Amino acid sequence: MSDRPLESVPSPDEATPIAAAGSLDPTLTAVLAHRFEAIVREMTNTLFRTGRSSILNMARDFSCSIVTGDDQLLAAAEGLQVHVLGAGMQTASMRRLHPDLRPGDAFLHNDPLLGNTHTADHTILVPVIVDGEHLFTASAKAHQADCGNSAPSTYMTYAEDVYAEGGLIFPCVQVQRDYRDIDDVIRMCRRRIRVPEVWYGDYLAAVGAARIGERRLKELVGKYGVPTVRSFVAEWLDYSERSMEHAIAKLPARTLHASSRHDPIPGLPGGVEVNVTIEVDPDAGRVRFDLRENPDCIPFGLNVSRACATGGCIIALLNCLEDDVPRNAGAFRRVEVLIREGSVAGGLSEPYSASVATTNVLNRIINCAQNAFCQLGDGYGLAEGGGALGVGFAVFSGSHPRSGEPYVSEFVLGNNGGPASPHCDGWVTYAMPDCAKTIYIDSVEMLELTYPLQIRSLRMLTDSGGPGRLRGGPAAEVVYGPRSTPMRVFYMADFARNPPQGVLGGGAGRAAIAVVIDGGGVESAVEPVGDSLLLPGEWIRGVEAGGGGYGDPLERDPEQVRRDVLERWVSLEAAAETYGVVFGRDGQGLPVVDEQATSTRRAALRAARRGASGRCDAAADAECGHGSETPASRSTEGDQLIGMHIERKAP
Amino acid sequence: MIGLPSSTAGAPAQDSLESARITCDIGGTFTDVVVSELSGRTTLAKALTAPAQLFDGLLEALQRAAESLAEPVERLLGRTQLFIFSTTQATNAILERTTARTGLLCTAGFPDILVRREGGSLRPYDYSRAFPDPYIPRALTFEVPERIDVDGNVLCGLQEEAARERLLEAARLGVEALAVCLLWSTANPVHELALGALIEQELPGVPYTLSHQLNPVVREYRRASGAAIDASLKPLMQQHLPEIAAGLARHGFAGELLAASSAGGVVPIWELIERPLWSVRSGPSLAPVAGRTVAAAETGSRDVIVCDTGGTSFDVSLVRAGELVFTRETWLGEPFVGHLTGLSSVDVRSIGAGGGSIAWTDPGGLLRVGPQSAGAQPGPACYGLGGTQPTVTDAALVLGYIDPDNFLGGAMKLDAAAAAAALAPLAERLGLALQQAAHAILAVANERMISAINELTVNEGVDPRESLLLAGGGAAGLTIMPIARELGCREVLIPRAAGVLSAYGGQQSDIVRELTAPRATNSREFDYEGVAATIDGLRGRLAAFESELPRDLIGECERQWFVEVRYAHQVWDLSVPLDGDGVADEPALARLVERFHDAHERVFAVREPGQTIQMSQWKGRTCVKTSKPPLRDLERRDRCADGRAPAEQRRAFFDELGEVAIEVHRGGQLSDGAVVCGPALVVEPETTIVVYPGWRLRVTSLGNYLAESE
Repeated sequence: MSDRPLESVPSPDEATPIAAAGSLDPTLTAVLAHRFEAIVREMTNTLFRTGRSSILNMARDFSCSIVTGDDQLLAAAEGLQVHVLGAGMQTASMRRLHPDLRPGDAFLHNDPLLGNTHTADHTILVPVIVDGEHLFTASAKAHQADCGNSAPSTYMTYAEDVYAEGGLIFPCVQVQRDYRDIDDVIRMCRRRIRVPEVWYGDYLAAVGAARIGERRLKELVGKYGVPTVRSFVAEWLDYSERSMEHAIAKLPARTLHASSRHDPIPGLPGGVEVNVTIEVDPDAGRVRFDLRENPDCIPFGLNVSRACATGGCIIALLNCLEDDVPRNAGAFRRVEVLIREGSVAGGLSEPYSASVATTNVLNRIINCAQNAFCQLGDGYGLAEGGGALGVGFAVFSGSHPRSGEPYVSEFVLGNNGGPASPHCDGWVTYAMPDCAKTIYIDSVEMLELTYPLQIRSLRMLTDSGGPGRLRGGPAAEVVYGPRSTPMRVFYMADFARNPPQGVLGGGAGRAAIAVVIDGGGVESAVEPVGDSLLLPGEWIRGVEAGGGGYGDPLERDPEQVRRDVLERWVSLEAAAETYGVVFGRDGQGLPVVDEQATSTRRAALRAARRGASGRCDAAADAECGHGSETPASRSTEGDQLIGMHIERKAP
Repeated sequence: MIGLPSSTAGAPAQDSLESARITCDIGGTFTDVVVSELSGRTTLAKALTAPAQLFDGLLEALQRAAESLAEPVERLLGRTQLFIFSTTQATNAILERTTARTGLLCTAGFPDILVRREGGSLRPYDYSRAFPDPYIPRALTFEVPERIDVDGNVLCGLQEEAARERLLEAARLGVEALAVCLLWSTANPVHELALGALIEQELPGVPYTLSHQLNPVVREYRRASGAAIDASLKPLMQQHLPEIAAGLARHGFAGELLAASSAGGVVPIWELIERPLWSVRSGPSLAPVAGRTVAAAETGSRDVIVCDTGGTSFDVSLVRAGELVFTRETWLGEPFVGHLTGLSSVDVRSIGAGGGSIAWTDPGGLLRVGPQSAGAQPGPACYGLGGTQPTVTDAALVLGYIDPDNFLGGAMKLDAAAAAAALAPLAERLGLALQQAAHAILAVANERMISAINELTVNEGVDPRESLLLAGGGAAGLTIMPIARELGCREVLIPRAAGVLSAYGGQQSDIVRELTAPRATNSREFDYEGVAATIDGLRGRLAAFESELPRDLIGECERQWFVEVRYAHQVWDLSVPLDGDGVADEPALARLVERFHDAHERVFAVREPGQTIQMSQWKGRTCVKTSKPPLRDLERRDRCADGRAPAEQRRAFFDELGEVAIEVHRGGQLSDGAVVCGPALVVEPETTIVVYPGWRLRVTSLGNYLAESE
């Protein structure tokens, strides 16, 4: 007899199907859907195990996907959200630029103007050709340790244009013919990338992954035949579209609007304001995101590429849907994203830089879109998630003490707290909105073994998650420094001045910081979007951002607050002051909820809120709203709250 | 209660003193027992597990076996020289959170190793499920001031006073066991050892685990997680294992008691009491041991895919080139958010798919099967125990693949009408006839198993089309042939002991102990002396282990040596065998390097000639051979002179044929060499084999079933 199953999954849905399955055998549809996902997983495993830089082989900052011959994203398994959702744009440019695709071809594509995310994401595209027909493209996109930028960082925040950014751009350039490298391209990269050995190893890993995808897809087509596979693809995309339609149909009809603001940085005193308008049309089963009301491109690397902006809106929508909808082009037919050419939010134009397109402003777009859904009322949407690409995610470089060989890579060591949802507290290993939960994290020991640095501490901080009925996820603090040779670090921490917001009465998460510690132990705060050269004996300390809370903290189950106190997610002080929970002590000296004192205290805190007139206090409003709540008033109340907190956020 | 028959030898033992070997596998639902004797006679028995009193279920199964042998259980145990058992108790205790209240001592500054794990999630867009708790709560995690660096230098000495305070705090909080995992304890264990001594001083009697002793791997989460699980199991296993030993002794057993480990072998019971982590998933690890032996004897196959399908889970494991396949990534619970054992153990992938898996349609109208299971209670609708949702077993019954009057050897009657009623609404939603819907359910269930098999085989570079598929478990025979066809396997082997595969694997297992030691070097500047010293150290420890074994168990010792290797800048290793017991000179090094390039190309499709190769961990494994029963078949009752008993008939549905009349054979009535052509059923007490159209099933000379696709 076997053990119990070691896998857990959502419970069966009682809902009735929207429509009967189409012409294809329903069995075969299910079978082939599994098969495509399995191929993507095999590609992913190959790249993970063989990658050379820590950002690939520990953090898994890469994604594999399968796109159809007519540029529809078909399967992406657990790829990083921002990487995969726009994969079809890249294959479209491949077909346009290379109309004569042949077996054995491979293309290197990292051009954000042609559908890529940002310059540091090198994508290998392998067209899968059967009997002369281009049926699929196997895609492997990997963030490089270095991409030849003008400074040793893959995020050039202060680059005024692509020339200042400096990275080599490959606008879908052929890199293999007849399954062999085109050495001209390889030599260019080896010459202009700081760690050529690592780059080439990572390139091989990506090519290996794409080629494995090609091999398996050909086997699959060989087994089932082109007509069957074709009708499966059509069927599966239709099924996915129906699933999305059904999921959207459950939402109330509304037009939502929210905005958010990237922190000011030197040279950009107002930061970057982001506006999102969302039209939810449940009857038509469609959602439209309008990003057109946004500023023009800016002379910084913060501009968001089209692939990222489109992907960001889809991420926010998928995060807010109740159903588990397949992530492919079929489902996305139900989503429209409007972008204004020349705007910072997806309308990237020459010569502006999108070096940081995958994180900072994009994370503002995702956050404000998912928080806009809260305007549908309690039970919808998400708070804002921590989105700081700070010290815990810095790009670090230097040289190895003995060999003198250069090293450069990116930490995925820190952590932003996840947003609280209507159902649960924020996810702990959230990373950030654009790659939420999917990216892995570094091992301290493997980092110390691979690079000449030392991690001094790494811990999750008490009271860092935004308070709420559901609490935001915690932020991590990390301290590290070089061992014996100088180390340069680049960090890009947004959410230091405008922290992730809570919703419907929930509080904001903790803001990000960056602090340099000198040889004498003296700490000095540094600009959170910048770089530092650390000498041996010096350290840098950083905290990413905590997630925002959902709902009024005075409504949090006191027993949950007790557990949070025991687990040191919440301090005793915050339990009393923010959550209004009062504890006695049990025999072991551990806190137990004093229910009487707690309800007295909560009543007093509510009264104090009401008394505090003239202050714009979202929590107080939430309380008033809840006092006379009717189903009809529910959504309006949500609306007001969001309006409130936007006002509060405005400078 | 279900009374289960045992299948067995016909005649009672001729020689009552003939020595026996007993293996048992105590699972969540059933306790399986296999008794083998030197004569080759093998007896199988099954009983329901008694969760509260594991020994009672075991005794029940033993009594059934003894009954079949027509002797009292005391006499059977009295003539048993070797008793091998495996138990899911450790696995279940972890899943049910009934392990000891355990604390973690860690390096100051790094308290969240168990909380964060290694990141990742299979559900990126799902915000409805809370982040799962760490294996040890933060409240019971204690930071100890100390720090050792990557080279083993002490950067900050262990602050004993502070450590003592933490221990007293742990005691005050009622901690019953302690795990110790400090950064770089693999490079220098001095602080972990000092903490161990302090625990013995301050908290005498509280069991503890030091991470570097349990599993000296780099990567703090893997070491910490293993140590945490191990420590948390110690109080339980220190009670449970001696109880079993005492219970057996009370009933006359005076031989050697060994227990299965997740390393695909057995170890003396005291080893398991000291390192209970090894017992986690140990039962399923024995299935490929059985598969390896049976496959080698029957077809000479060196690549074997072993499937074990029970009521609630489907386990798949692999024999590659005649060797078991190991992994360092055994998750308890869902990958990334469950808990990792971190051990190098037999790679057994488990998914929630089996006879009890429930079929449903999702909102988009797609048919899905499992992983929710009706379990044993209420069970499939056809059990008549209150289940109303359609399951794989119900579908099989609707298709006519199970004889409702002969389920589990007739011990349980199934309700065919209830199965049909449960399926009907689903069929309607799908717009299919009842039998077509039932067929679709089996096909979709198969697909999840095929994915699991594919993931395991492709990871190892094994081509299913060139492998033998071996099926075990109660539900194995229902769909193994279509699975084989999808995978491209032409041959399927179903051992006679399929229903008790793990217990049968125990019969074929050796004593296996594996030790590892870190020694980093590379192919460009290879550290011949250092490696020799490391291997010498391992050799001494393996010899010490061997010398502690009871004298009458020590057969031939076979030692194997491995090293974990990768290309420069990579961080994930491939385990590559050494020739002989070291790397003595340049030719030996060159051979090792070549073997790594080959392995890398086999698994990852690329090689990089000329690239520097890095070596990290050195591994020695000793395999102490135990005497095994000869691979004779189980004798069968009612053997017919012409080798072919008159078959019954029943109606069954096959996708390509529609509903047809097929023959039903009793397995015990088929003689060696008998051939059954599909479509047909072969009924065994523990399982039913569906011979699909286009397949022929042959009874081998060893009494197993070999199916071939035409």
